Amino acid sequence: MMFDLLFLLYIVLGGIFIGAGVHFIPVGGAPAAMSQATGVGTGTTMLAAASGLTGLIGAGSAYAASGGNFAYTIVLGGVSAALMISILAFIANVMYVYGAGVPLSSAKVKYDPVSRWRQDLYVSRGTEGHGSPMVSFISGIIGAFIAGLGGALVYFALAATYQTIPGFTATFGSYPALWYVSLAAAFAIGIFFLNCVMASYNIGGTIEGFHDPKFKRIPKSIVASLVVSFVGGLFALLILPMLTGGF
Amino acid sequence: MAEGDRSPRQLMGIGIIGGLIGIYLANYLNVLTNSAWFSFFAALGAILGVFWGADAVRRVASYGLGTGVPSIGMLSIGSGQVAVLLGLAVAKFYGPEAAAPIIALILAGIVGIVNGVMARRVIRMNIAIMERSMTEIAMAASIIILGFSTAIAGGFTFDKIMSYVVASGFIIAVFIVGGLAMLHPFNACLGPDERQKRTLTLALSTGFLTMPVAGIASGAINGVPAAVPTLIIAIIGWIIYYLRFFDETKRDAAAMLSTGLIPEEEMV
Repeated sequence: MMFDLLFLLYIVLGGIFIGAGVHFIPVGGAPAAMSQATGVGTGTTMLAAASGLTGLIGAGSAYAASGGNFAYTIVLGGVSAALMISILAFIANVMYVYGAGVPLSSAKVKYDPVSRWRQDLYVSRGTEGHGSPMVSFISGIIGAFIAGLGGALVYFALAATYQTIPGFTATFGSYPALWYVSLAAAFAIGIFFLNCVMASYNIGGTIEGFHDPKFKRIPKSIVASLVVSFVGGLFALLILPMLTGGF
Repeated sequence: MAEGDRSPRQLMGIGIIGGLIGIYLANYLNVLTNSAWFSFFAALGAILGVFWGADAVRRVASYGLGTGVPSIGMLSIGSGQVAVLLGLAVAKFYGPEAAAPIIALILAGIVGIVNGVMARRVIRMNIAIMERSMTEIAMAASIIILGFSTAIAGGFTFDKIMSYVVASGFIIAVFIVGGLAMLHPFNACLGPDERQKRTLTLALSTGFLTMPVAGIASGAINGVPAAVPTLIIAIIGWIIYYLRFFDETKRDAAAMLSTGLIPEEEMV
């Protein structure tokens, strides 16, 4: 049984969304961990693992609860990832403000494009800003929603494909763990990491949000995500003909 | 950059041949004796994969990736996972399932090359050895994933790994701890005084530290015969290599100087 080409398109689109979404997320990296740069103080890999896996759990439960409804699955995937990134950025901001004692500010712009508040006066000398100011926070929520949508698209395509393999609706022993769900999740995580790390190489490790000049590099990331998720998606979908007696 | 006593080719040999021998030994000794006592060989093979992968991470990450060492480890373990699952299915469909580890290795190489070409040619990362390193790390990752999965399931056929490792969810544990075992050594040792022997000793230590995860999981699948030898070897191996790593660290450390306490009064 040949796989549905539409699902390959979903995976490629999902990969592009994941790659594009990372460009919106305020990734501060190691400098931000010492409150010397704007963003959440950790690398893309960790932020993507946190919000991407939450998105996957959201998408997976929505898929199971709705019996494979497309819109419900991908929207809930996006909302879960956005929820996770807003919790992450908010808790980090609380710690920057009340723990490290630094005001939330960005050194890349003079006025915050969203809140219109003055930024440059509050940036400590020798640093690149602190925490996630309004624009980075909003940008992070948008980015996580896009990336979560992409991850959920990948999961939806894989789950819908593997569901048709005979015997894959079985559970693992007496646990309510369905085979196709586990396989789809395993591949979705693999493809998620491929795309988000490619995007993080494109931004060179740190970015503040859509107001950052590095955001203009997004076309290169789209090309890389397209190719990487095409190969990953093809590999994932080829499982179907391999297990159902050829093409 | 990142010279060392052991050449990349030698480590590649250790990783591929040693890893495959471990995985095959575990599978066929288990089949021959109709038990799960020999599952630990696959985990030892996976540790050789960690040994190779850690050196490949070390070579490429010493150029400075800009995103931290973990990124390349997670990227490659993602490629390795995709390749291993397809490789097992391909071997099940086309031919002798004995070819599965080799097919998985080749597929991982393909994904790795694609990643490397994208990172260097499209994203334009200025690292000359990007393609080669991405390929090597993805292949090492496929050995790590297949090795630990075989140790858990007791064999490497698609049906066994699918039902015991993927469906049970242990694949996620293998994914994360396998990736950490490979990326942690260089992440912990990097710096101007980084030395290959110290990094690779830490790689063996983290590899053995990962093995108990496979041991505990294999206990849930195959019971005592799989879990006990794996856990005992893992703990002994970890103690040996952790102590060796400690010695290497002491050897490399500069003298420690006490700067005293903060003076009570400011000197003028």
